[in-house]
Amino acid sequence: MSTLALMRWLETTPKRYDKGMHLLTLGRVSSLRDRLVDMAVTGPNCQVLEIGCGTGAVTELLSDRGVEVTAIDQNPAMLELARQRLQNKPDTNITFIECTAAEIDSLPEQSYDAIIASLSLSEMSPSERAFVLHQAALRLKPGGRLVVGDEVRPRISWQRFINLILRAPQALLGWLLVGSISHPIPDLAGELCATGLKVVHEDRWLQDTLAVVTAAKNK
Amino acid sequence: MSESIPVYKAVLYSLLLDILQTVLRMIPWSTEPGLYAVGNPDSDSPVVLTCNYDLTVRQVARVLAENDVWLVVAPSSGINVWCAAAGGHFGTHQIVTALKTCGIEAQVNHRRVILPQLSATGVLAREVSKRCGWKVRFGPAYATDLPRYLATGQKNDESMRRVHFRAFERMEMAFAWGFPMALVVVILVAPFRSNWCLPLAILIICTALAIFSLYDRIPSKPGITLSAVITGIALACVWAAGGNIGALLTALIFPGILVALLTFDYPGSTPIAGGAHFEERNWHIVVDAERCRGVFSCFEVCPEACFTKQDNPRFIYHSSPDRCIRCGACIVQCSQDALWFEDEQGQRIEPEQIRRYKLNLLGQRTINTEDQFIKPPV
Repeated sequence: MSTLALMRWLETTPKRYDKGMHLLTLGRVSSLRDRLVDMAVTGPNCQVLEIGCGTGAVTELLSDRGVEVTAIDQNPAMLELARQRLQNKPDTNITFIECTAAEIDSLPEQSYDAIIASLSLSEMSPSERAFVLHQAALRLKPGGRLVVGDEVRPRISWQRFINLILRAPQALLGWLLVGSISHPIPDLAGELCATGLKVVHEDRWLQDTLAVVTAAKNK
Repeated sequence: MSESIPVYKAVLYSLLLDILQTVLRMIPWSTEPGLYAVGNPDSDSPVVLTCNYDLTVRQVARVLAENDVWLVVAPSSGINVWCAAAGGHFGTHQIVTALKTCGIEAQVNHRRVILPQLSATGVLAREVSKRCGWKVRFGPAYATDLPRYLATGQKNDESMRRVHFRAFERMEMAFAWGFPMALVVVILVAPFRSNWCLPLAILIICTALAIFSLYDRIPSKPGITLSAVITGIALACVWAAGGNIGALLTALIFPGILVALLTFDYPGSTPIAGGAHFEERNWHIVVDAERCRGVFSCFEVCPEACFTKQDNPRFIYHSSPDRCIRCGACIVQCSQDALWFEDEQGQRIEPEQIRRYKLNLLGQRTINTEDQFIKPPV
């Protein structure tokens, strides 16, 4: 029962994050990422803010669409991997910032066509999430979209029951594979509406536990 | 948006929760991060911040019960202050997040926050101030000293800064390791030899207690000495009880394995033994005479009182390197970058890398020099 081996394993999590996430979501994470980008990029010359870019998987998809991206993350090791992932791509317009999600309040208001949060909101406490969503809504241009892809609580009771049973082993597996424990968001669409945005689209995968919710700001 | 800390009127319930969270402390027990009012705080009341490890939060609330204080609980993944700070779960970003989002800014008319001293290895005080305008002051190492700290004008004396490993703390750690280990062994053994469960559990708990109370007090080869003594006692007990050959063989082999496993984890579980594993041993603190301006922030945050101040000219000496546990708090806090880790070949880990990647040898216990982005410059 030695912690040293476990520590060594957890220390390398940023490098394993992508593979770990792929395993944990049985591959659905790639559909989630594709959908996020489809919903966020509505035209050329889009300006996108990505909250919690991690190893840059979504950032890469965004840059492939030729949009201008500001990507933030609080984990320097993750950001380093994101930079490495994108360093050989020509003609990218990406700015990486090491900061917390709560610090988006220092970015200019009404300046993004889309704001993406991929699997980052479920790692926040409810008060942090409320703050971040509120600030994100302020940073959207009129007609802009807030697109969130994350772990959610299933809507149907039997699915919720199965989810509850699987939760503990899942949490342990998640901690071992990607080094963090997430909390499924009970009412993602409701939280987005609370910021004054209007939910325009919602997709669900994996027994209703993984969702992409798109909310738009009035024009 | 503040709530009162749930005060567990039933002392028994609180005590049981304390015991449960102590013996199973390897599991993260989290409190919801946010703002809590202790007593009746107003807009001038002090703001105390801690991690969201439930045992810590309840202890802090308990010791502060006679005070009027705002308590900010920051997200640390349900891990205690020192481990979380050293491992990168309780750092500048988590503090900034908590201060900005918990609602404290609407409650007080000052921007001064008291952090636990042991968070200094992960939290860069001046960076917090730059990012959200809050001025960080490192309070005492132990929550129990908080009332005294608040009553004496928020000044830390050496007794509040130094960590210790007293009999009660040794017992806590022994149970934190011994209990889960005994539980696992009992579950594995029960289906085959149910009558072995109790003796094995007693053996494991007693071995853990012996290691955590004696290991650092046995002058040479403590692991071998303890293995020999415990094996002897176990054999004697089995023989006296008329155990069969299987039981005798187990008593001969098992204690040695047990001592090896427990002593392997021992350094990371105590505040006194820093860096006993492999390459960690080679890294030591160096103070640059050219850069040191005598700010003494290293002195203020060192949990082992390794530094000696010199006043004229102002300079700091790392005077007790034998006590150093390589937590790196001094390096992280030095505004002059005057301290760093260096090994015997003169290879250096720069302060900026230590801050960014938490290379403090408590959290990132081992440095993987092949890693592309945490390579110490040659």
